Amino acid sequence: MALIEARQLVKTFGDGQRSVEALRGVDLAVEEGEIFGVIGLSGAGKSTLIRCLNRLERPTSGQVMIEGRDLTAMSESELRQSRRRMGMIFQHFDLLSSRTAAGNVSFPLETAGQPQKLIKPRVDELLELVGLTDKAGAYPSQLSGGQKQRVGIARALAVRPRILLCDEATSALDPRTTKSILALIEDVKNRLGLTVVLITHQMAVIAQICDRVAVMDNGRIVESGPVIEVFTRPGHPTSQSFVDEVINQTDSAAGLGCQPKGDLVRLLYTGRLAREPLLSTLGQRFQVEAAILQGRVDQIKGAPFGTLLLDLAGPEEGRRQALAYLKSLELTVKVLNHDADA
Amino acid sequence: MTLTPNFWPMLQTASLETLYMVSVSAALTTLLGLPLGVALVVTRPGHIVGRLWRVNSSLGAAINALRSVPFIIFMVAILDWVRLLVGTGIGPTAVIIPLTLAATAFMARVAESALLEVPHGVIEAAQSAGATTWQIIWHVLLPEARPGLIQAVTITVINLIGCSAMAGAIGGGGLGDLGIRYGYQRHLLDVLWATVLILMVWVQVIQSLGDRVADHFRS
Ligand SMILES: Nc1ncnc2c1ncn2[C@@H]1O[C@H](COP(=O)(O)OP(=O)(O)OP(=O)(O)O)[C@@H](O)[C@H]1O
Ligand SMILES: [Mg+2]
Repeated sequence: MALIEARQLVKTFGDGQRSVEALRGVDLAVEEGEIFGVIGLSGAGKSTLIRCLNRLERPTSGQVMIEGRDLTAMSESELRQSRRRMGMIFQHFDLLSSRTAAGNVSFPLETAGQPQKLIKPRVDELLELVGLTDKAGAYPSQLSGGQKQRVGIARALAVRPRILLCDEATSALDPRTTKSILALIEDVKNRLGLTVVLITHQMAVIAQICDRVAVMDNGRIVESGPVIEVFTRPGHPTSQSFVDEVINQTDSAAGLGCQPKGDLVRLLYTGRLAREPLLSTLGQRFQVEAAILQGRVDQIKGAPFGTLLLDLAGPEEGRRQALAYLKSLELTVKVLNHDADA
Repeated sequence: MTLTPNFWPMLQTASLETLYMVSVSAALTTLLGLPLGVALVVTRPGHIVGRLWRVNSSLGAAINALRSVPFIIFMVAILDWVRLLVGTGIGPTAVIIPLTLAATAFMARVAESALLEVPHGVIEAAQSAGATTWQIIWHVLLPEARPGLIQAVTITVINLIGCSAMAGAIGGGGLGDLGIRYGYQRHLLDVLWATVLILMVWVQVIQSLGDRVADHFRS
């Protein structure tokens, strides 16, 4: 059974003429121990979705099951108990400005009614976990964005939740800080055995730490699956545009500023293929010339993910066989334009 | 130039009366106005007990009604009730009741706007951590709005000083009473200007004290 499950989730804001359907029937299942990403453009309904998962937003209809229990049917006090099983971090950190870093981390411990003498050591432990021991006495106004989010993470983990919800947790941070915060999330997830749901509008965030991803568009999940699959075979235009954003590819020869001599072929490959002497094989076995027009290697969850744009020139039969050979390998081949008159 | 006979004793008595009126009503006002300000905020639609929005609109209407009456009229209007309660309609003790009521309505509104400054995200963060409504009020709203609330108390007290002087005009006692009966009606300029000076100094002192305490809590 999935740890988090949303069934036919609908959320409508307002009523009558000016109502907005933020969620239009979302189904979601997050398995224990995974990092599940939700990506979508602004206004797609991502925040609404994640806020429904801890009932900061009450769904109009549908169910949210957390650890097998229906969140939408819970009383206020049951809900508070469930919320303590789910930590949440926010885009703007939302720390208490009147409390120090340590004071912020101790907040959930205090409201959960933990005895004072247990709070202090727990706070120290948490600040150490996020690498902020030396900032225990600093107020949020004295911390950088990255440091604030570390405090946010420590606060979210204070009462030992099983789930961590991240709503655009890195969107207010620069790329380097984003990486380090994501690395921290992955690290605490592994150490504490958490399940993470992460909302973002940046595919690079998904690529760095997510196991699976759901792509949202206009209140619906239009595609979902393992990250690597969505990267190599995006099945929806929205997914495609997010993938393009990371691998920055051009789909036409015109975009490259040159005229291809033969077939324009895009290869997407992962992992070990990077070591194959691909180009020389093509030349020796099929007598085709393969020119690299574009190429790059990215990382998806630490594994290499390469994209190559080749211009295959040569006799037609050779090109046909070359394509067949490429398709037999563990890679995704996309022919962008067949050279018709060659 | 000679001072009006009894100049110093008169000033002293009047100052003490004003001090008494203002401090007692300030204490009562804070005690009543702050919770009302909190109630006005948390019962807003979409706030932590937004389902009580009916309370919000009734409370808001009552406060507006109270605030729309000029203090001096309000004081006269409730004179009979005050007599019923404290046995007399004049003197510093009797004045404390209308002062407190009027200032409470004022305080509720300024406290409300201070509390509204607390970002909604901070409240939601506390909610998502499993905090109860009371915990959010005590541990989030009030401490986060503390500088603003201190400012709210400060201007309420200053407002009270002004109102207490007005109350003097209809037998409330204190510096306002002294200023009007001796300074104005008998044209004793030394008394008049002395009351003005004392009131000015008090207001300055209270304002800068309030600013300083508020700044201390801004981090
Ligand atoms: N409280 C609200 N009242 C009315 N409409 C809302 C409310 N919250 C969200 N919406 C609307 O619901 C839709 C989805 O909003 P949501 O915040 O979930 O999008 P998002 O995917 O998180 O976007 P972003 O990337 O900009 O954060 C938007 O059209 C938004 O205007
Ligand atoms: Mg959002």
